[in-house]
Amino acid sequence: MSIFTRSVPFRANTIKALNDPSLRSALRHATETFAQKRSEAKASVPFEAWRDDASAMRSDVLSNLSGYLDLFRARAVRAGATVHLAKDAGSAREIIVSVLKQFSAKRIVKSKSMITEEIHLNSYLHQQGFNVVETDLGEYIIQLAQESPSHIIVPAVHKTRRQVGRLFAEKLGCDYTEDPFVLTKIVRRVLRDEFVSADAGISGANFAVADSGSIVIVTNEGNGRMVTTLPPLHIAVFSIEKIIPSLADLPKLLRTLTRSATGQTLSSYVSVITGSRKPGETTGATELHLVILDNGRSEIVNGEFREILKCVRCGACMNVCPVYRTVGGHAYASTYPGPMGIILTTLLERMERAHTLLDATTLCGACAEVCPVKVPLPRLLRRLRELRVEQDFTTQMERRGMDGFALAAQSPRIFHLGQKVARLSWPLLKKLDGNGALVRMPRPDPVTFTRRMQ
Amino acid sequence: MRVQLFGTCLVDTFFPETGEATLKLLRHFGVDVVYPHGQTCCGKPADSGGYSGAARKAAEHFISVFEGNDPIVIPSGSCASMVKNHYPELFKNDRRMKEKAEAVAERTYELTQFLVHVLKVHEAGLQGKGSITYHSSCQLTRELGVREEPLLLLESLRGAKFIQLPRADRCCGFGGIFMARLPEVSMALADEKADAIVSTGAETVTGCDHGCLMNIADALNRRGNAVKVKHIAAVFAEGLE
Amino acid sequence: MTGGETVNIFMDKAAKAGAEPVSVKDIGEMNRLLATILESTEQIYCPGVTEKECAVEIPEDRRTDDYRAASVCIEEVFGAIAETGSLICSSHGGKTVQAGLLPPHHVAIVSADRVYEKLDDFFSSCGDSPPTNITLETGPSRTADIELTLIVGVHGPERLSIIVL
Repeated sequence: MSIFTRSVPFRANTIKALNDPSLRSALRHATETFAQKRSEAKASVPFEAWRDDASAMRSDVLSNLSGYLDLFRARAVRAGATVHLAKDAGSAREIIVSVLKQFSAKRIVKSKSMITEEIHLNSYLHQQGFNVVETDLGEYIIQLAQESPSHIIVPAVHKTRRQVGRLFAEKLGCDYTEDPFVLTKIVRRVLRDEFVSADAGISGANFAVADSGSIVIVTNEGNGRMVTTLPPLHIAVFSIEKIIPSLADLPKLLRTLTRSATGQTLSSYVSVITGSRKPGETTGATELHLVILDNGRSEIVNGEFREILKCVRCGACMNVCPVYRTVGGHAYASTYPGPMGIILTTLLERMERAHTLLDATTLCGACAEVCPVKVPLPRLLRRLRELRVEQDFTTQMERRGMDGFALAAQSPRIFHLGQKVARLSWPLLKKLDGNGALVRMPRPDPVTFTRRMQ
Repeated sequence: MRVQLFGTCLVDTFFPETGEATLKLLRHFGVDVVYPHGQTCCGKPADSGGYSGAARKAAEHFISVFEGNDPIVIPSGSCASMVKNHYPELFKNDRRMKEKAEAVAERTYELTQFLVHVLKVHEAGLQGKGSITYHSSCQLTRELGVREEPLLLLESLRGAKFIQLPRADRCCGFGGIFMARLPEVSMALADEKADAIVSTGAETVTGCDHGCLMNIADALNRRGNAVKVKHIAAVFAEGLE
Repeated sequence: MTGGETVNIFMDKAAKAGAEPVSVKDIGEMNRLLATILESTEQIYCPGVTEKECAVEIPEDRRTDDYRAASVCIEEVFGAIAETGSLICSSHGGKTVQAGLLPPHHVAIVSADRVYEKLDDFFSSCGDSPPTNITLETGPSRTADIELTLIVGVHGPERLSIIVL
């Protein structure tokens, strides 16, 4: 039980998830499939060398982020974009609303963007009277279901085809079907109308290229392309760490990103958008507004957790995480779940809310093995646990236990006395511990190894 | 040759027979084993929880108890990794202790590392019986890089049949304090591991870490399964005359 | 690597990504191929800007000027990348990139001498002032959002044919 009521009730959430057989089976299937595909994708290529390159490039950018940011702004403006800098979620939302109002945009189509989840954009726009339609199939499903995404690549992975079928029948009034092919074609038809009649498109950006002022959008469905080129107004939102130096650096990231995320050599579409439509052109939004969000990143980049900002949002870490695989994304009750999610959430939303998430790791290290940009996730998790102790977000009982441990570790006499006491009071200790760990452990042996060695 | 043996707190308290098996094994191959009696715990439980102060105290004690030049042998991947990888890190702000930590780290071996790289036991092979499968623990593989050594030893067992465990390097859910903080998830992971073990049909499951083995034994126990759970030291010691 | 080898790698990778690539020797072969691909399809959109686009033979009554209502778009694209089996669609020269996005069938003509070997070869050539829109198109549109079941043809084209000339 959490002693800080504002923190994520993670353990309770895991129990709920564990008692949901349909969720567990969906998660098992999804994470196994992704992990398998990633393995296959990297098998016949020099993947380790590619990871080194991608990691080095991302580190290089972070050590001169403000310089690259300035260059990006200048070049983006040169290409015809309007650049807005947003300090935090609130100001980002206000900027977006004012741009939409400036162009009298009412109907908005949106492509999947984790940063817009982070700033809770959709609910704010809805409150302000805008009609926003998510167009990524997974996001469209959860929008209809009024849920939040449970995975950063496949947001509706927790839903079975039957659940999606029932949802569509209920909300769209179509005949019930659980055939994913038919369900997808229904959405193609429904959303095509939205794409061609929208006043504005809102997207994220996978990368922002400093020397050309371009943004890069990596998708499979085609909705990303439609959202960013069909409506006259395009608003792209992204956080400052998405910047890369030049287009020549893009291949390094593309190679590792898509293989790590879905096992694909490349996703179906990679769009490089440079500014607004120029005279004589027939493609591109006539108004391009870029909202570049800080929301705590400049503090992180100057601190010891900088490396988490190398993250390219591929989802590989959560696919292999034993905890995520078992309970899914909703248990984390945060924009970003899994290993990178615990770290980013703790840094952005503070220890008070996120300290319970720090329990969500066995420090097994599987995440670090698959991260395409070599973020040292276990090291950062361990360091955050240290901060959790320093900032007093652990229970009194645990702290006293550790004080006792420190004494015992330094004194063989106290250590062996402790063993004896534990053995003699074992039944009582188990009762006090409830359904914790002790009940799953054997009783201490009457003759310790040390005694046998005397 | 002479080594210092660190039993580990789990072995000392719960599984002393593994300490005896390790002793028997090393002596069989002509190693003179010294057991420094002041030993307690390597400090890992404190370190994983973020209690670096307590971990440092345990580490300082370990370093002073194990002074000398002999190799230190540890029948546990997580403890060996704590000493080899985390001790120097714990003392990164204390140059004197960091040097001592690095010196100790350099002479520390996880048991199968020692058996393969120093004693070359796998070349002559060992005796075994029955069918065995193997769970590879997380710190052993990912922090220490010990992947081949246990397999070389197990595959060299004459008289025993080694069966590969599906998804052998997947976390069993022990995670030290994780088992206490998220017991439900820990049990669910142990159950999956047990499923994989049962699917092999092996009579015995072995591993290099008692934390994992304890968690796995509980999962097998909860479903009333009779698969034996043995530390790798015990598997090898059993086959000695 | 010879140009021929590069084209072969491109065709192999494009096919693996779900596209239907065919290499042809001349305009005549291209048109014979188009006839089989298109069969009796109506509402064919073709920009008719480049030389190869102008050489495309389609009866007038089966054409449309509106790519939004078309069932197929036949156009020449900027180039291709062998490493990934991707087409390079570019807004350079006033090209309407979305014309190849909206219809359910995209038929892309690529010049054999505009096939880059690697992603790096292409992106290094972009400099710092690329056209407004460059899109790498690798296979038809797809999703696996429902139970990770792969479905081809979501919002973008359901079918991608590639003619290398």
